[in-house]
Amino acid sequence: MLSRVRTKVNALVNRNQTRCLQVFPRLSAEEASNSTTSKLSKDQLKKREIRRLAQRKAAARRAASDHPLYMPVDKALRFLRAAEVGQPQSQQTLSLTTAVISERGAPLLSGNLSFPNALKEVKVAVFTNDEDQAKLAREKYNCHLVGGTELVEQIKSGQTAVDFDKSFATPEIASTLASQLGRILGPRGLLPAAKKGTVSDNLESLLEGSMASLPFRQRGNSVSVAVGKCSFSDKQMLENLVAAQKGVKTALANQKAKRPSLLGQTTLTSTHGPGIVIDFA
Amino acid sequence: MSRVARQLKFFNKISSTTLESQIILNAEKYSGLNLTFQCQNHNGHMGARKFWREFMPTLQFYNPQLHFQVTRVKNDDKKNASVPCVLEILDREGQSVGSLDMRNKQGAEIMQSLLAEVDHVKVAEEDIVKL
Repeated sequence: MLSRVRTKVNALVNRNQTRCLQVFPRLSAEEASNSTTSKLSKDQLKKREIRRLAQRKAAARRAASDHPLYMPVDKALRFLRAAEVGQPQSQQTLSLTTAVISERGAPLLSGNLSFPNALKEVKVAVFTNDEDQAKLAREKYNCHLVGGTELVEQIKSGQTAVDFDKSFATPEIASTLASQLGRILGPRGLLPAAKKGTVSDNLESLLEGSMASLPFRQRGNSVSVAVGKCSFSDKQMLENLVAAQKGVKTALANQKAKRPSLLGQTTLTSTHGPGIVIDFA
Repeated sequence: MSRVARQLKFFNKISSTTLESQIILNAEKYSGLNLTFQCQNHNGHMGARKFWREFMPTLQFYNPQLHFQVTRVKNDDKKNASVPCVLEILDREGQSVGSLDMRNKQGAEIMQSLLAEVDHVKVAEEDIVKL
């Protein structure tokens, strides 16, 4: 998103410069000297990007406990519960946000988390035309939605709501899925694809490994996941935080980047509450 | 004021600058409070909302084992004054042992009448969290 804006800005700057150069060469030079952010040259923009990356890296290396808003988790939870007092139970979700510092062009961080204390039941959808597989998914794993072409049609027409957190498919239906539901499931990250490892002939092995886990992915420069409710005890919350830490670390180790990404400042926050920096690394 | 300073002020408001509600309720007697009032301010419900917003975070902070519940009722009709505006004090079994009428009172007044109603002790000076 940012990069797109930048290219647009660049294009604008270039066009302006060339036009000015033809008419008032001197004036354009003056303008460039006291330039605002939108009038930086390509070179300057690149430099700025490198500088900002270095700044973010340096910030990530600083210990979390140096931050003025740092608190141990138990104290942070006490403040968050106080800030959240009297709100409806369903709105008291605690979430964790971690800054991710990665090289340009590195693939986005994504992976799976499994919490010892679940926030809610994970809803799984299975797309297959194979009766045996469908039966298995329905009976053994008790999946939320199971079906073939008819389920695809229902979702497309809006009869069946898209309320699942995960989906799997068999190869014979995958192409139909991509063409019919790509527009609906794609943006939510729910479309099964061979690249993501969610399309397989043998659904049993897939389901076995990931029934209880929730997917997460990097958005912008951060990863954000819901880790608990205010009603959880301190011990439950700590267990969930450790599980989240483990999941994110695994995702970092598996990321296919030239240089490994870093984790930056981590904040714990609630729906209506403030963000509190905690120690995560 | 920087982002960090504003945040610290917010934390301090919960833990140290709201003096009236820095109390510990007798945990052997009470299990929590139940508040019921309108979402809208008319017919004297504004004080209840202010009490919730200003004093209850501190109460919860120093009484982490108690449960505070707020039920807000939507009522757009200004002529309809039937919505209750009450604070109920719950004992260990969840039974109501006392109630306060919050209608047409300011937040601070409600806090004072709550202090007069319940068995409590002030938070000791060394237990107050300052950031």
